Parts: sequence; structure tokens; C-alpha cells
Amino acid sequence: MYVTDQINSSESEGAFNEFVEEQLENLVDAILTEGDLENFGERGSDILVEMDDIVAPTFVYGDEGEGGGGSGGGGPGSGGGKIRFNVPFQYLMERVARSLKLPRLVKQGHGKIKEVSYEFKTFAPSGIVLDKKRTFKRALRTSIGMDLYAPHEERYEFQFMRRDRRFKVPERVEKPRFKAVVFYMGDISYSTYGERLRLEKRLVNFIQNWIDYNYGAKNVDHRFFVHDAEAYEVQAEQFYQVGNSGGTHAAPVHQLIHRIATNEYDPASTNFYGFYFGDGELFDDDAKEIVKILEEHLRPIFNRIGVIEVQPGRLSLLNRQIATQFYRDSIIRLGELNDKLETIEVIKTLFAEH
Amino acid sequence: MRAVQTDPEIYELEQRVVHHAKAFERTLPEMRFFILDSLEFMSLLEKYVYPVSPLNIWEGKRMVTRKHRVETGQEASIYYEVVQTGNPSYAYLNSTNSPMMQASVMAHVVGHCEFSELNVLKDSNPDRTEWVIYLSRKVDRARQQMGEINYSQFWNACESFVPLIAPHSQFNLARTVETETARQQETDTYVSEDKPVPRLTPSFGTLDSLMRNVSPETTWQKEMQAKQRQETISRTGFKLKAPCQDIMGFLCRHAPASQSERAVLDYIYSVHSTHDFVIRTQIMNEGWAMYWEKKIMTELFKEQSVKGIIDYARVFSGVCYPRPYYMRNPYHLGFYLWTHIEELYRDGKVSLDFHEETSQDVKDHWKRPSTKTPMQQMEHLVKTVTDYEFLRRFLTPELVHEFHLNRFSKRQAQQLRIPPDSIVQEDRYNVWIDPEPIKNEMLNFFTHFHRPRIYLIDTDFQDGGLLLYHRDDGRRLRKDWIKPTLKNLNLIWKAPVYLISRNWLYSFSANLFKETVVTAVRFESILERMRNSEKPFRI
Repeated sequence: MYVTDQINSSESEGAFNEFVEEQLENLVDAILTEGDLENFGERGSDILVEMDDIVAPTFVYGDEGEGGGGSGGGGPGSGGGKIRFNVPFQYLMERVARSLKLPRLVKQGHGKIKEVSYEFKTFAPSGIVLDKKRTFKRALRTSIGMDLYAPHEERYEFQFMRRDRRFKVPERVEKPRFKAVVFYMGDISYSTYGERLRLEKRLVNFIQNWIDYNYGAKNVDHRFFVHDAEAYEVQAEQFYQVGNSGGTHAAPVHQLIHRIATNEYDPASTNFYGFYFGDGELFDDDAKEIVKILEEHLRPIFNRIGVIEVQPGRLSLLNRQIATQFYRDSIIRLGELNDKLETIEVIKTLFAEH
Repeated sequence: MRAVQTDPEIYELEQRVVHHAKAFERTLPEMRFFILDSLEFMSLLEKYVYPVSPLNIWEGKRMVTRKHRVETGQEASIYYEVVQTGNPSYAYLNSTNSPMMQASVMAHVVGHCEFSELNVLKDSNPDRTEWVIYLSRKVDRARQQMGEINYSQFWNACESFVPLIAPHSQFNLARTVETETARQQETDTYVSEDKPVPRLTPSFGTLDSLMRNVSPETTWQKEMQAKQRQETISRTGFKLKAPCQDIMGFLCRHAPASQSERAVLDYIYSVHSTHDFVIRTQIMNEGWAMYWEKKIMTELFKEQSVKGIIDYARVFSGVCYPRPYYMRNPYHLGFYLWTHIEELYRDGKVSLDFHEETSQDVKDHWKRPSTKTPMQQMEHLVKTVTDYEFLRRFLTPELVHEFHLNRFSKRQAQQLRIPPDSIVQEDRYNVWIDPEPIKNEMLNFFTHFHRPRIYLIDTDFQDGGLLLYHRDDGRRLRKDWIKPTLKNLNLIWKAPVYLISRNWLYSFSANLFKETVVTAVRFESILERMRNSEKPFRI
């Protein structure tokens, strides 16, 4: 032994890490083959991956059933326990990209233009939204000052003066414009529940993660729109709620996102993505109108538009109609999602290179 | 890693520690001290205190886990003392420790090295670390020869049998396996129950020989047994004459392995076989090390070679903090027991006279020192007993209570569901239970070490199969681990393997696992049959 030798376990650590990576690769493959994309967790967060712990099986006391048996021979055995790894989001998405052979999305624009919004950050003597707490405090102070309110002398008179009123006042806030905006459009008029809802949710979750991965989570604005006979914007969690309205008219939601894209964002510096989910059962003229909107308004400014028919029926015609105009188009991609196993194929359709 | 000579301050301390150890007339091997940083220390621990090891994912896993635990604050990265005994002994110091801590570590190491040299189990052997370094290189070459997949498969299979290493068991290799080279070795402590044969008068004539009262059947049986044994040894190179508990040792010597596989087996066996010594002598060993650490440190403080006696006292009391008996703090129990024994020897209380004295008053004032010094008597103890005998002789219910081995925090007592009627003392935070049964509880540990007792009982079961036997002590084996473990054994033995546990016979052969109901057989019957050169178990 040389006294200058460094004691280290880097080779063995490397072997273990390789083993874990192999397992992880298998896990990602399994996720992708099975389409279990809900395992990807919340947007941009590290993913907690759980796998069987490796323990050499031996003769020990105890009851069986605490996890699988040891593997014996072929590789390290499973001791029934679990080992957990925090897999960084970036790392996992890289693996997904490699597995699915997805190209990185093209980044355009730099977000130089500031977006203006108003937030209630300050207070003033006039306005619309009364700040009750502040107003009460000021009134109390005035009443004490005017000697109307003096508990020690058992006088409890209290006066609200006009000048004591305080209102919340919006303040102009400038924020950098998003580098990417993703519009999710959902048809809530059709029976979106059960398996359909799960399929849609899984796909939306993946799209969110994928675009976050490409642009960085902070630079992406995800906006959700639903429609029945009319179209309106909703919060992310309301996107999956089932509506009960009768009519279905999908063109307005396309018009709406076009309006928002051009009014609220600078098309020259923003990357737009739009994804429509529905059963595709629309009126003929509605589908034609959508094709027209796509052609005239959305396609010229959007990086990618996906139209996904989720468990379409016999009468579904939206994709057929769009395909007449945009068959194998580089921007407008058409997908059909019937069950979980097709999720990966749809993802490839949406994001793979043509 | 750097030698201690590179740090003048620590080197000076080492010189002082060795000086005092010699002044106390300690029996020491050559001791080599090295200074490591924290990461090296972690790695050393995962290599079982050898500076090198062949590539294996188990070490990698332990290292990754330990790093994670240290990084997340679940484990302190300060490791005080790590030593690989042998001659020379290698001791490692953590570079982050203060000089006072380094001195105490070196003084502690003195105790371990001497214990290893003196103890009855003869743990210390020449060039142990060098031997493992050599084996490690051999395994590296074996990896090249076997290829990565075969190498890792074989290593993984061997890992299953690390708990079945028992070189100091009553049923170890030397006592249970007969080979051509080791036929005349000690068998076991078995005493024949046969009536003693009357001594024959010397005879010189043919007629006398013919007239000798010897039954032809017995002679025939003995002849047959000898012939069978000879044939077995000639055919296989060994013969099992009693159940063998050192199964890994047996595989290491007698499994039909290639040179590369043998290198892996040798390495794993060599690295882990010292654990058996540690587990059988931990209380004595750590106690001995603490005892000498304190003595040497007191000298160092007296001569002002080191400063920080308050800090040292704090660390010492932390290490020697009493824990309930089942948690086994060997530092605490060992140190206080040795101190107590020293007093007993000083007063001459370890004697037949004292034992037979009936007056308590006389016993209380007993002072009849022996002609030997207490230290000579303590050394004799180190040379002759292990933990089991150490505790059996000296641990009394009074000491159990005095050392707080029967003390539990109220929370622990609640968790362990200690019945109120077994509580003999109580204060605001703790309860003390009846100390009487604790000694036996502690001694029971040495019969099984909380592990199932597995023996190899036949190496030719159903034509070449290896038959293992689980000695039933009321607890079942984890069933879903039997198959993978047998599969691993099959990979090493390369022939059918079997396990008897209670009334089940498990077998693994040609990738097929089978369970068969059989009649349960007692360990004593197996022992008896093997002594009579019979098959220990037949279906």
C-alpha cells in the first residue's frame, strides 16, 4: 500500500449508479410503453422514482410478503424494501426525449416586451374596493383623538368620518412577456368523464412538462380554454370539469385564442402553441370555420397546433376536415387518442419532426 | 490518505501514546497510523476497513446511501476510530478531529490491537491487510477473466452467504470437515457415552491376539467406516463429519469453482470472517480499548502532551453512556465491567475462598490480594475467554442495576409494553425493570446472534446435492427469500441444493424450485447420525 493512495469507492459507486440508471431507463420505458404519464408529477418538480431496494437474499427470520422476493443469481435481489430517488425533472425529460426521439422545440423571441397588469398593491382615500381593516383602524384613531371613544370614562362612541376611508388601489405592474404561450382548448359539451378525462389529463400533463422543459417553466404561460356553444377562459383545474351544456361550437374557442394571442402578446416575439381536445363531433360548417381560422389566423403565428380527438365517435369529422387542408402539415398536427397505450404515439405525432 | 509522519503534531502524539503503552507493558503488534479526510473515511468503512476493494455495486450502494445520509444531516460524518487489527495493524485517523481526539483514538487503538493479539480466538494474523490487498487485485483480474456479467452474478450470489460465515463456531470447518491434510485435527468436544473399554493387558503372542474379546461386527463396522471415509476423501477431497456452520468457509474451500470464482469467494470470506471475532468479543474488546484509552490519556494529560481534559471527559461520558441491555453499548458495559473486575482482583475476590465464604460481613471487608497483579489476571482473562464467559462469570443482577442495563425511558417502556409488575424502580423520566432475567437474555444472544442457525449437513444428498439444515428455535424463516437464496447457492455449488426447515424440504435444481413436506428431524439426531457416519437425513 502506498501512503499517497487515495481511498475511494468511485468505481463501485459508478457501478451502482450505472445499475440504477439501467433500472431508471427500464422504468421510463415502462412508463412510456404503458403511457403512465401521471407519474411525471407536478410541473417542473423533481420526480420521485421508487424501485425495489437491492438486498442480497439470505436466510433470515420474518414473514414473507413485504415486497417481492429476491431475484437471486441474475442480479441483486429485492429485499422487499424500496429505494427512492429524486430524479431531476430535466434529467427525466432528457431521457423521455431520447426514448421518443423528440427534437427540441425551436425557441423564438426574447421576451423583451413588457406585459402590463394591475395588482392591488397600494391604498388611497378614494377608489372602489374599500379596505375595511385599514378604514376601521383610522376611524378608531380619529374617535380616540376626538375624545369620543374613551373606555376608561365609559364612553364608547365611535364615528366613521369620510376622510378615514381607505380603498385598495391597483398599481401598474410590468412583467416580461412570456417566451412561450400554450393554449389548451377543451370541449366540455361532450361527455368528458371517466377514461376520456383521464386520457386528456395525462396528455395535457405531458405537454405542460414538455414545453416547460424546452423553454424553462418560468418562461411559459399555460392558458386553458373550454367551450360548449360558447368559449371562455378557465383556471387549469376547471379545465377538467364536466360541463352540461347542450350545443357544441368549437370555432369560437379558436377565435378567442387568436384574439388573445394577438392582443395580449407580441406575435413577433412569442412562441404560440395550441392544443385542442374534443371528440371531433362538430357540425360541418363549424369544422370548416375552424379550418379557415387555422389557415388564416393561427397557422401563420403559431409554432405548433395540435388537434386531438379523444375517443372519437363515428360522427367525428374535425380531423378529417382539417386533414383535407393540412395533411402532414409541419405546424398543424392531428392525433387520435383512444386508449392509454396510444398516448405516446400521439405525443410523437404532436412533437416529432415531419 | 497520508501517513501520520506527515503531521509532526500527530506524529509526536503517536510517539507519546506508544511510549505510555510500552511503559504499561502492553503486548502490541506493529501499528501504522494514517490520516484520512471525511470522504476517504466513509469509503474505508464501506470497504470493511481495508484500503482497497474490487468493484462491486454493494459497496457503491452503501457509499451512495451514506453520502446521502451525511449530506441530509441524518448521520454525522465524524468517525473517531477505525482499525484493522493484525500484524501490522492499520489504524485510520480522521483529519477533521482535534489533536486531543487523535490522541484518544490512538490510545483506543492500542487496546484493540493488544486484545486482538492476546485473545483466545487468536484474531491477529500476520499481514492481514496486505493479504486482502493481494486478494483484491486477484479479484480485479478475475473480473477481467469472467466478464462483467458473470462476475457480478457470482459476486451477488456470494453476498447471500456472508451471514453464514462462522470461523469461530463450535461447528467450524476445522471441527466438521475432514480432509486429507487435516485428518488429525481436533474434532469437537463430544464425549462418548459408551462404556469405557477395559484396559487390555499387554499381549505378545498370536494366540493372545486371537483370544482378545473383540466383536467381529464392531470391527467390521469400524473397518467399513474407515474405508468409506477414505473413499469419500479420495473422491471429493473432503468429508463432512459433523454439521458445519461456517458454510461460506466450506464453499470457499470445496465448491467446484473456477480460479476466478475462487478468488471472489476467498476475498469475500477473508474480508468478512473477522466479524465473527468482533461479535463474539465486542464487549470485552471495546471495554479493554476504553480502559487503556483512559489510562494512556490520563498520562498524556498529566504530562501536558494534550490539552482539553474537559472535552475529553465529555466525549468519554458520551461514548460510555449506559443504554438498555438489548441496545448493547459495548463501550459502556465493557469499560465498567473491566474496572469492576480489576477491583475484584485487587481485593482477591475472584477466588474459591471468597466464593465459599458464608458471612456477608467478611465478604464486604474482604482484602486478600493474590500473588499475581490484577493486570496479570485480567490479561489471563483476555487470553482465555470471550464475551459469553466474561458475562457469565462477572455480570451479576446487582451490576446490571448499577450499570443501568435495566433502565428504560418511560417512552421506551411504553413502546416495549413493559408490564408494571416488572418495574422495580421509577423516577420522573425512567423506569428500572427487574435485573434478574437480564443476564440470561444477554447470554442468549451468543447462541444465535439474532440470526437463524443454518448448518451444512450433507454434501452428497441425493447424488451430489448440498443439504442445509435450519435449526429450529421457534421462529420461521422468511419464506420468499428461501428460493432466491437457494438459487444463489445453486450458482456457486453448481449442483442441486436443498434446505430443511422444520418439516419442509426446499430444493433448487435446474432452475426449478420445489417444496416437499418431510418429517421434521431434530438437530441432535442429525449430529448423532453424522457421528456414526450415517446419512443425516433421508427422504
